[in-house]
Amino acid sequence: MRRPTPSPAEESASRRIVGAFLVSAAGAVGFAVTYGLGGDTRWEGVCLAVAFAGLAVGLAVWARRLVPVGGYVEEHEGFTPPPAEQAMTAAEFAAPDSPTRRYGLLAALGFALTALGVAALFPLRSLLPWDRVRPPRALKDTPWGAGVRLVDGTGRPLRPDDVPAETMVAVFPEGDPDAGDAPAFAVRLDPERFSRPPAGGHLGGLVVWSMLCTHAGCPVRLYLKGTGRVLCPCHQSSFDLLAGARAVAGPAARPLPGLPIEVGPDGFLRATGDFTAPPGAGFWSRP
Amino acid sequence: MIMDRLARALDDRLRLSPVTRRALAKVFPDHWSFMLGELALYSFVALILTGVYLTFFFDASSADRVYQGSYAPLDGSTTSAAYASVVRLSWDVRAGLLIRQTHHWASLVFLAAIVLHLARIFFTGAFRKPRELNWLIGVTMLTLALANGFTGYSMPDDLLSGLGLRIITSVVESIPLVGTWLAALALGGEFPSDAMIPRMFVTHVLLVPAVLVALISLHLGILVRQKHTQFPGPGRTEHNVVGSRLWPSYTLRSLALFAWVLAVLFALGGLAQINPVWLYGPFEPAQSTSPAQPDWYVAWGDGALRLFPPWEFRIGGYLVPAPFFPGVVLGGLAFLALYLWPFAERLRTRDRRQHHLLDRPRDHPVRIGVGVAALTFFAVLVVAAGDDVLARLLGVPVYDLLYLFRILVLALPILTGAVAFLTARALRRGEAASLGDLTRADLRRAGRPSRRPSRRDDEPETPAPDRPGERIELWPEGEVWRWRYRDEARRLVLTANRVAVSEEEAVEAARLAYPGVDRVVVPGPPAPSPPGPVRAALRRWGRAAAAGSLLVAALVERRRDRRRQRDGDEGDPREKADAAPRGGEPR
Amino acid sequence: MRRPRAVTLPALYPRRALVVGSVLALALGPVALAPAPDPTPTPSATTPAGDRGAQLYLEQCASCHGVRGQGSQQGPSLVGVGPAAVDFQLSTGRMPVSREVSQARRREPVFSADDISALVDHVASFGGGGPRIPRVASGDVVSGRDLFAANCAPCHGAAGSGAVLTNGWSAPPLYDASATQVAEAVRVGPGLMPAFPGQVLTDQQVDDLTSYVRRLRTERLDPGGNPLGRLGPLAEGLLAWLAVLVLLVAGVRWLGRRAAE
Repeated sequence: MRRPTPSPAEESASRRIVGAFLVSAAGAVGFAVTYGLGGDTRWEGVCLAVAFAGLAVGLAVWARRLVPVGGYVEEHEGFTPPPAEQAMTAAEFAAPDSPTRRYGLLAALGFALTALGVAALFPLRSLLPWDRVRPPRALKDTPWGAGVRLVDGTGRPLRPDDVPAETMVAVFPEGDPDAGDAPAFAVRLDPERFSRPPAGGHLGGLVVWSMLCTHAGCPVRLYLKGTGRVLCPCHQSSFDLLAGARAVAGPAARPLPGLPIEVGPDGFLRATGDFTAPPGAGFWSRP
Repeated sequence: MIMDRLARALDDRLRLSPVTRRALAKVFPDHWSFMLGELALYSFVALILTGVYLTFFFDASSADRVYQGSYAPLDGSTTSAAYASVVRLSWDVRAGLLIRQTHHWASLVFLAAIVLHLARIFFTGAFRKPRELNWLIGVTMLTLALANGFTGYSMPDDLLSGLGLRIITSVVESIPLVGTWLAALALGGEFPSDAMIPRMFVTHVLLVPAVLVALISLHLGILVRQKHTQFPGPGRTEHNVVGSRLWPSYTLRSLALFAWVLAVLFALGGLAQINPVWLYGPFEPAQSTSPAQPDWYVAWGDGALRLFPPWEFRIGGYLVPAPFFPGVVLGGLAFLALYLWPFAERLRTRDRRQHHLLDRPRDHPVRIGVGVAALTFFAVLVVAAGDDVLARLLGVPVYDLLYLFRILVLALPILTGAVAFLTARALRRGEAASLGDLTRADLRRAGRPSRRPSRRDDEPETPAPDRPGERIELWPEGEVWRWRYRDEARRLVLTANRVAVSEEEAVEAARLAYPGVDRVVVPGPPAPSPPGPVRAALRRWGRAAAAGSLLVAALVERRRDRRRQRDGDEGDPREKADAAPRGGEPR
Repeated sequence: MRRPRAVTLPALYPRRALVVGSVLALALGPVALAPAPDPTPTPSATTPAGDRGAQLYLEQCASCHGVRGQGSQQGPSLVGVGPAAVDFQLSTGRMPVSREVSQARRREPVFSADDISALVDHVASFGGGGPRIPRVASGDVVSGRDLFAANCAPCHGAAGSGAVLTNGWSAPPLYDASATQVAEAVRVGPGLMPAFPGQVLTDQQVDDLTSYVRRLRTERLDPGGNPLGRLGPLAEGLLAWLAVLVLLVAGVRWLGRRAAE
């Protein structure tokens, strides 16, 4: 067919489209050059954005200016099947040799498939930790226990003097510092100010508590000097260390568990048992 | 030339042309809100493209690894292999940070687009029969997208995401009876377990994306089978779809939108830093950082955890911890409500008919009231998740904000829901065209109890059938038949989206689309419309480009050739309608 | 120009800004937090250098902290706080304040460096020892990052952007602090901040720490573009929604509308 002569509007649209595609190509070249020169995230991003934006603008102008929009109708046959057709399909299932009529066999098949399905669930159990104790038990036990020494973040055992007043020292059980439920902190407070004694006892004001928030388990590391309060960064629960680490604000409901400590014969701090309660968030069988 | 041969060769072997003919002729309604789902689709494609690139560099292992590279503060530090590989990807792999950031931005945009799409479907009633199935698939995809977003956010094993993972573990552990077992089953041990990063990796790159791809295919397949819904309007009935065809109009528009989504994502990825894990540092059980928030799409859960008061109780000596209600019950109820909404609404309205015409949002005051209230509720929760950041920026005590949000989260949804309900009722009863046209009398009327029974209130108005001046025109054109719908009163002409091979087929299609409208056979095609623009444009291009540069000229020439071969003659809608499906056969 | 705002901010902000929309505030990034009103500096160059500290102290500090630093209803005792604490408070402009505030904010220092050292000497003459002004050397950023994550990140944020504490207190951003000020804060523990004396952090560790904190302020740590105030995921989510609504939905509307031809 013969090419019709374009209208001025079409010509201007075509020029814009070509321009947009040229800009896009320039963006692509720019990306390659940026990458070749050693790469810079910002310029790479800008170049790619320009490349794709050029494509988008070109295609959009093309779609809006050079292609007719609207004016079509498509029929919609709906989803109500002709009754005769539906009846015929139903008849197929009701035929004498149809498997759906053998109820006894179907029941047996159903039983076999159910058994297979249940059996297929068993391998899921392998996803549980094999070599460990049952999960609720594991949550209650921590690496702390009688005689476990307190070490700092570098693994150095701590003496009582290593915990000065008005600071917070993170402490870990010697030998297992990376355990998720073990982190604790030591602070030195004025015993006169205790309105409620710490659950794990104290050594002349030196107290050790679990670091894990009793709400959702985040490390309660925001220590507010002078107030005796610690704050959780995740949901802003705050605990009053002077009142037995009671939860005083925010969504936490239970106090922080304490860690009973003593000074060993070597002069280093050591635990005399596990936390006074399972550390961290609550669970169904938590005592 | 080559394209034409290839198309013919394929058609000779696979007999694709009948399918292709129908597919290319599929009609899309011309309203912008129908393209919101495409935003989600193209963000998902961007996620897959960038994500595949990332897997080449990500080391999904919690084993110790020494990072050595150009990020000095971590050079020589021993961290998990996952974290070390992400820092290496960000600092030592060229374009790695761009792709990583674009991937992360794409996930935020993906979820936002899903929410917009969901809101559009909800407020226009597009979920009604027969489309409940696609609604269920869509809601399922939202849950999967949330899951994949969260695993992706957690995999780098940085300090911030470690806190998030610890919180979600605590939420799972709070489930009565089975919580601790579920958490152990997912993590393969106590938090933080060695197995959790490999498991999240498999979930994130294999399991969930595979299901998502399958569900998206199903979603689109059902969409094509059931065809688009449309807003009521002249010439639009429950038995047709009015708009533009897939080829060429929507092909170009969709490609443009795809390119635009990529442009925005890469601009974000290059210009706005997201999740700087090198600053956060590797996860350590005893370390924390503040402020600590998750990505926005799970922030409603974090906000709910912050706002829920410290209430927990014991059942027979067993503990139900506080995070159970905001963490598990709230999310569970929200998604249950989403899943059940189409059925609940049908139960209430007793409407068992099929609907292919959409509601205007105002048509269902109850629906819009509930929807706006729910959106407000979750928006307040998301903002509440940032109460610590807001407290610092505004210089107010954080607990004051906490109490304020506890009131807002209950009061604001009721307020906005009521406003939306009353506005919709005022618009509906007063017949005002838009919000600006509302009069005081309309608002007063909306406050009164409804005069009509509530069932009537929720029935959409059906367009009046059969107006005078409507008719269907059919005419033969060579061996094929065409038809079109004409409404003299409204000066509206709608052409059939494809040719019919026989008169019977044309009559059948016209009868389906406009039942009860008179049909007349006219001798020939109506007066030709002005010459087609595309062909002329293509020639213009050739000239302009040749003047510009040889390279571009060559590219454009090739494109022009290809289009000539494929389109035959474009521009005149009548001719185009059969040119495309027949692959440029000479007529 | 800031002074009238500073007085009204605490009262106005909760009401007005919350009404306007707290989300907007997130978008605006860290706005300048209310600085304490600054009293007029008194240039009295005629005083002999030795008495300069004493005179400044009497003019600017004694009304709250007492003539001999014994403290009063309005201000704490300065006996034994140490030169590091005095230098920190004065060089960061937190002191002097003209009225009692719950937490003094950082601003331009009121006194010159010479006046500050004169005041430091004068307060030291009250006795009591206390931490000296640390001499900071450049340290190892790898060890500094480690120490920062373990000790500082909980309050100041891993990115050093600061965070809120209770009762309207907050841990400030660290980007403006000089190396000496960082080291002083570590040793002294100003305000609610815990102190880190020698048995917790050695001098070498403080050097490492300050080197890392100084590095945090450089833009080299933000290779990925605008850091959005290093406010974290919610700021990112806000930007994502803005991009979706302003760029993508607008694009969709443009594409989905018929061209006016």
